[in-house]
Amino acid sequence: MVQEAKALDIVELVEQAVAKHGARRDAVIPILNEINQAFGYIPTAALPEIRRRIHAPAEGVFLADSHLYSAASFYQLFSLKPLGRHVIRFCESAPCHVMGGRQVIQALQNELGLEIGETSQDGKWSLLTTSCLGVCGVGPVFLVDDDIYGNVTSDQVPEILARYK
Amino acid sequence: MISLTINGQTLDVPENTTVLKAAEQAGIVIPTLCNHKDLTPYGGCRLCSVDIQGLRLPATACTMLVAPGMIVRTESPALTRYRRTILELLLVRFYDAGYTHSNGSPTIDSQFAYWVNYYGIDMKSTMAQKPFRLIDSDPNPFIWVDKNKCIMCTRCVRACAEVQCRFVWTQAYRGYDLRIVAGADTTMLQARCESCGACVAHCPTGALDNKMSVKLGPPDRLVTTTCSYCGVGCQLDLNIKDDVPGGRVLRVTSNAKAPINGDHLCVKGRYGYDFIQSPNRLKQPCVRKYLLDGTARPHNRGSWVEVDWDTALDFAARGLRNARDQYGVHSIGLLTSGRCLNEENYLMNKLARQLLGTNNIDCCERVSHASVVDGLESGLGLNAPSNSLDDVANEAKSILMIGTNTSEQHPIFGVKLRRAVLWRGCKLVVAHPDFINMSEYAALRLVHRPGTEAALVNGLMHIILKNGWEDRTFIEKYTTGFQDFESCLDKFTPEYVAQQSGLDETSLQHAAEILATNRPMAIVWGIDLANYPAARRNVLSLINLQLLLGNFGVPGGGVIPLRTQNNTQGACDMGGHPSYYPGYQPVDSDATRKKFEAAWGKGLPTRPGLTATQMMSAAAEGRLRALFILGEDLVAGASNGSHIQRGLHNCDFVVHMAAFDSETSRHADVLLPGVTFAEKTGTFTNTERRIQMVHQAIAPQGNARPDWLALTELSRHLRRNNGDGDYSDWDYHDTSQIMTEIAALTPIYAGISHERLEQITCLQWPVKNLSHPGTPMLSMEHFAGGRGRFTRIEAAEADS
Repeated sequence: MVQEAKALDIVELVEQAVAKHGARRDAVIPILNEINQAFGYIPTAALPEIRRRIHAPAEGVFLADSHLYSAASFYQLFSLKPLGRHVIRFCESAPCHVMGGRQVIQALQNELGLEIGETSQDGKWSLLTTSCLGVCGVGPVFLVDDDIYGNVTSDQVPEILARYK
Repeated sequence: MISLTINGQTLDVPENTTVLKAAEQAGIVIPTLCNHKDLTPYGGCRLCSVDIQGLRLPATACTMLVAPGMIVRTESPALTRYRRTILELLLVRFYDAGYTHSNGSPTIDSQFAYWVNYYGIDMKSTMAQKPFRLIDSDPNPFIWVDKNKCIMCTRCVRACAEVQCRFVWTQAYRGYDLRIVAGADTTMLQARCESCGACVAHCPTGALDNKMSVKLGPPDRLVTTTCSYCGVGCQLDLNIKDDVPGGRVLRVTSNAKAPINGDHLCVKGRYGYDFIQSPNRLKQPCVRKYLLDGTARPHNRGSWVEVDWDTALDFAARGLRNARDQYGVHSIGLLTSGRCLNEENYLMNKLARQLLGTNNIDCCERVSHASVVDGLESGLGLNAPSNSLDDVANEAKSILMIGTNTSEQHPIFGVKLRRAVLWRGCKLVVAHPDFINMSEYAALRLVHRPGTEAALVNGLMHIILKNGWEDRTFIEKYTTGFQDFESCLDKFTPEYVAQQSGLDETSLQHAAEILATNRPMAIVWGIDLANYPAARRNVLSLINLQLLLGNFGVPGGGVIPLRTQNNTQGACDMGGHPSYYPGYQPVDSDATRKKFEAAWGKGLPTRPGLTATQMMSAAAEGRLRALFILGEDLVAGASNGSHIQRGLHNCDFVVHMAAFDSETSRHADVLLPGVTFAEKTGTFTNTERRIQMVHQAIAPQGNARPDWLALTELSRHLRRNNGDGDYSDWDYHDTSQIMTEIAALTPIYAGISHERLEQITCLQWPVKNLSHPGTPMLSMEHFAGGRGRFTRIEAAEADS
């Protein structure tokens, strides 16, 4: 099952992340990243906690929940909902597509029984797409967690997935 | 100046002008969607793209700054194709469910629909064929959200951030999923929306609309008038449909040309209009049954009977006359209203003094306004705020807000101050016992014990003197009484004040430093300060502070008492005061009295009358026998309602004129149905002395009548003999005629006429004659003797 973050953990983590990166507007992305790393996603309850610690209109620093949500929803390395233990991010940019990406993503979908954007019932896998990962020379490309796989063919998919428990 | 050519026309425009603005100045129209005059240029929709010689691709006119010798072409076949493609692409993710857009124009087109049509695109066949998002997707009671019509221009996002400083809307996600969301994709209200409707007013497509009237279609006409809620004096457009006799109000929209607020309104002004056509309105005059029966008044005054106007006014006149004949003229009291027109308040003053012969006239907002009038008069010789709202919002380097919950009580001014903090770094010190919204924007928040305001201000002055922050030159040149005053601050040491007020010494030091070193500094206060028994003293100590720092006679300085109601200032200006004729001309001055005696053709009382609070005590003691109350629910509006009820109950005879039945009318003998601001023409004076027109938009509801008309007719029932002054008559046909009389008798209103206001929208008094431009800021020459007076304020302990 996918685990949701607990309120107390959220406050504690936000506290630490803000202490580490500074209560500044330009520290928002590293702070969001810390939270995403820790929980595997950014619980929306974390956003007001971040806002409260940075928002200081009298100093000319204005930060609203909407600003944080805008940033958190924009970056594809962030997620706003809990994900599986292992997250596959498949590159959907043109060079990977041209190199046979469509067959690879189809193989991933078949193997996992998931549509794009879904998380498996047992909480093991999430299948997402991402924009360019910057290694177009070895497309098609996907990430499993922090591991990158290039020049992938559909036959290799079962073997790659089997590496993850 | 920079010289450039647009469509072959040579122009000179100031530096940093955008190509779009330059074109506008030349009368050249460039199509736009994401651009709005109130908002920072965004360059998102690309519709304003133009050709600039030397650039490979079209550039957006809204963001491109002019350069010397620039050659711009705004129209070409290629640009037309370019713009058409942009619109077609926007229509791919656009779905119109077919209901009419409602934002204030008699032409039904939204800006987006206009340009789609202009470029020859058939919207129906080009747009998405089914909705892809929920229509009406937010539960906000006032704002309608249909994201199927959103084109991502971000005008709502920018309006919420830049105009209202609330940051509710944002763009979230990316690519095909890009959409506007409120807060963290919550409902608008959860995202701290204040429902001001700025996003609606700025939306070019109808994706955001007015929920209360979204499907009511376009109005037949727009009537620009002045809002009837608070003392800020915003102007707005009543959208009128003429499908019923006399017309009805469909909705309220903002008017970009409004002098104070432009396209900006608060939730009350924009959405609080349904009271106008409420089924609970009083529509027929009523008198108590005992009056018709000619019997004695029962203890609870008995039941109401609906009658015609003539009968009601006859009973009203008879009741007032009886009291006068039996107990003398000073047994009658009149209470006038900050909700009513200047012209109506003037007639109340004339009714009291000329026809009834008493100075027992006061404004219902006595408690909140008397301290302002008397304090300012005593300290400065002024009767109104010294500066304008805009000059404070635009120029003050720091502001002391004390006893005002501005963003709720005077929302548009509150938002102007938020903008001052966010966009130009103005320092706000908020002194209020509660956590109010403005505290969030404060450089320093002082949470003092209620009632210790004077001690707090004395404490600040103590610190200022210790540090030598006072303005010695100003004190010498423009004030009196400093030497005598100075020693009263001795005992207000930080330790002493901290102990009294519950503040810590560091905060006091910090506050004094912020206010003394960021000048000009303005002081803004409101009803939470003015409603104390010791309010006059509070006002005087705030004046002391401004005199000490030399913050008078400069834009961004001064004292701004925020008057509670839309026309509290005007009611007082018009003689709704026991000591003053209109324009603060004292009743105990022989010269003034003779002037009014000559004008009204009648001998006038020599002594000041009773204040509203004194009237209630006099009524409870049986000295006051009859009351005429205009436009107010006295009982509900007072902090001491039971005292008022006792007074009213004890009165032999009470006439109440109001638009609604209320606690106060339960104690009345004659009840006259008045009208709302939408049903009459005249003027209101806002908290900064600004006189603006109110325009009748619909016919009075039922048999209700404007107060001025009812008062004029009442005069006929009251009169016994005509005097022979220039203005002794009461033959008023409209309020413009009344304003002419006011101008003739009131030096500060001498240059006011409806005709003039129709042309130039507003004037701030004093307006000395018909060519005088008005006085946005009262400078030292307006102070009594050209000097402000320091007043010793001794009391320290919290007032009860």
